[in-house]
Amino acid sequence: MKRTSINPGRVEWCGENPSILLEQGGRESVSALVFRVALSPHGRGCGCVVLGAPDEGAGWPQVPNLLLADNQPLMRWIVDGWVGEMPQFRHRAGFRHMTWLDLDASVRLPDADRSCHSETLRGPGVEVELSWSGLGVPIPVEAHREHSSTGRHEMYSVFVEAESASVAVNGTVLPGSVAERRLFGRTMKSAFLALSQTWVSSPAREG
Amino acid sequence: MPLNDPLTPGRVDWTGENPGILLKGPDGNFSAMSLFFRVAWSPAGAGQLLLLYGDPNDAGGGVSAPNLLIGDNGRLAEFLMQEFIGRLAAFRDAPPFPGLEYRPARSIRSSGDPMGTRYTETVAGEDLAIELVWEDLETPRALELVPEQTGTGRHVMFTVLVPARRARILVNGRQLPGEVGTRVQAGMETTTAFLYFSETWIIPEAV
Repeated sequence: MKRTSINPGRVEWCGENPSILLEQGGRESVSALVFRVALSPHGRGCGCVVLGAPDEGAGWPQVPNLLLADNQPLMRWIVDGWVGEMPQFRHRAGFRHMTWLDLDASVRLPDADRSCHSETLRGPGVEVELSWSGLGVPIPVEAHREHSSTGRHEMYSVFVEAESASVAVNGTVLPGSVAERRLFGRTMKSAFLALSQTWVSSPAREG
Repeated sequence: MPLNDPLTPGRVDWTGENPGILLKGPDGNFSAMSLFFRVAWSPAGAGQLLLLYGDPNDAGGGVSAPNLLIGDNGRLAEFLMQEFIGRLAAFRDAPPFPGLEYRPARSIRSSGDPMGTRYTETVAGEDLAIELVWEDLETPRALELVPEQTGTGRHVMFTVLVPARRARILVNGRQLPGEVGTRVQAGMETTTAFLYFSETWIIPEAV
């Protein structure tokens, strides 16, 4: 297929979307996503979704299932249209019961030598710290809708895989470690930075 | 539209945001030129940089219309000057290019909404505040360009373009002369004031 220089689809949003999926005993123990949205119909914003007890139908502070956002309408749109389409969130009891909180502050800290990255997000009575280490070489991705997690969008991004990662809520590190999974036709780590990510509503594919 | 293989062949040179304002005088020549970089990943790390030609026709510039680089990562400034800006003919061939000096920034911040009516980047250093203002913004478009379509002539590039019909460059509150003009990118007529988000520059495998 030849490139079409000007994509005929509608740009839905673009920004950063780093992710950590941890496993313990062969089961997903933690699913966490950070969103730094630079452009969307609902404005700009930052937020995170953390399922630290994905199979428990309860939210924060009973269990670490929570969402922080500085633009709640934007995050509602993202949750409905993207997060809820992802298998690691869609059918989990924790996703349906997670507590929605306002984000008060966030700090993004890429390491100077490019080997580590951390994101800290704070809300009322809660601080979430996500850390990625052992970062690899950036991988450019351009996915048709059949390869994107929603199945409805084309997606461009740069993925940087992490050898290890952690999620801590109020200083308590959640259990689990980075695993491997099939993504974009190759085996990839389940924790990565997704930089310069753009989601485009694609018209019917030609050819 | 993306190619069939979701993994783009090649090496990521850098990725991030790259808005700019190029103003033209009555004679059709550039009267003020600026490029802003918010880099999420590069071999020189992450960071932000503003390149300003307050007077593109004078090697030295002046206090009210300086020619300078100002940012928060000196290594990144060196990398971008050597590997990117130095390959853009409009900037490389201008008299200020060889004598550009780097200054550290004290603060860098963006405001506004790229899908609203106004967006700004403000960079402040010692005795200096530079504000880039984009207004009358058009609908975002996703672009995927091959080397023959890019300013460097050597990269594949993904980006989200938001053209602006009006723009200003202010130095310590004083507006630099010139107006937004027109240009053609990938066969599409657009303007010389632009926001670029989720921009990734990839050196193809064969280069």
